[in-house]
Amino acid sequence: MNSKQKLTLTIGIILIIAVLGYWYSQGAELFTKTQVLVDKTTELDRMLGVENKQYVDKFVFGLDYAGAISLAIAFISGIFIYLFKNKRKETL
Amino acid sequence: MKKILSSIYVLLILLTSFSFAQGFKVKASGEQTFNFADKGGRNQASFFSTTPLEDIRGLSNDVKGTATFNVNDIKTLKGKISVSVASIKTGIDLRDEHLRSENWLDAEKYPEITFTIKRVTDVKQLADNKLELKVVGDFTLKGVTKEITANATLTYLDESEQTKMRAPGDLLGVQATFKVKLSEFGVKNKIVGQKVAEEVEVSVNMVGSNKTN
Repeated sequence: MNSKQKLTLTIGIILIIAVLGYWYSQGAELFTKTQVLVDKTTELDRMLGVENKQYVDKFVFGLDYAGAISLAIAFISGIFIYLFKNKRKETL
Repeated sequence: MKKILSSIYVLLILLTSFSFAQGFKVKASGEQTFNFADKGGRNQASFFSTTPLEDIRGLSNDVKGTATFNVNDIKTLKGKISVSVASIKTGIDLRDEHLRSENWLDAEKYPEITFTIKRVTDVKQLADNKLELKVVGDFTLKGVTKEITANATLTYLDESEQTKMRAPGDLLGVQATFKVKLSEFGVKNKIVGQKVAEEVEVSVNMVGSNKTN
């Protein structure tokens, strides 16, 4: 493996770790969500014996997106590693 | 002697009926009608279901209806609550679309889920303004009607400066839960490829006022 291939591999691994790290920091959800439940129960609600939860707009990055992006990064890195290998052979 | 016995009998019947009449011990009395129209969208009906991959919580803030009862006798409770199918959200747009589709709840053909109260049983007085009871009624989902029993807690608040912030008049808080078997209502238990549990837990949280704006 030449230096360009090593660099491509390192960048690919770093990007995949970054994507998975971001997914984990977002709550490690399985599916990407466009809304999340928020508790909006007030003191009056509690006096009335009811709870109040509402869906609010928020994008939560799920494993479906994280996995697809990671696979895309791995695929693109693989192509570059292959191309750099061919170029090295041509120069030899 | 016969007159005395019949008088005692009538008295006993009256005493029995009074002692069994369970209701709220609040300022109001007589028949009251509570309207659950909620402009702020705070009234809600939700369902909770599980799939092998994740739990699903669906929520609708478009809940409306009325409940009428004698404040001193909750067994007189009658009313109807309806939920708009199109307003149900689950947190994932694609899943919401699937939920409203023909395969699931078919919002176009059956735009509302309704519950019509028939009778009340097992009343327990938790406080002067709080009752725990079972509400038996007709639940209609996707055009199919079945009798179900909901466990409910009703809380009555007399009008005050605090309650006026929510709505004018006395307020009635309703918290109810019941379970629904999807197959009984012709709903396929698969959503976006995931197999959903056959039994879904439904929960209702709403507040009504006896004074309409």
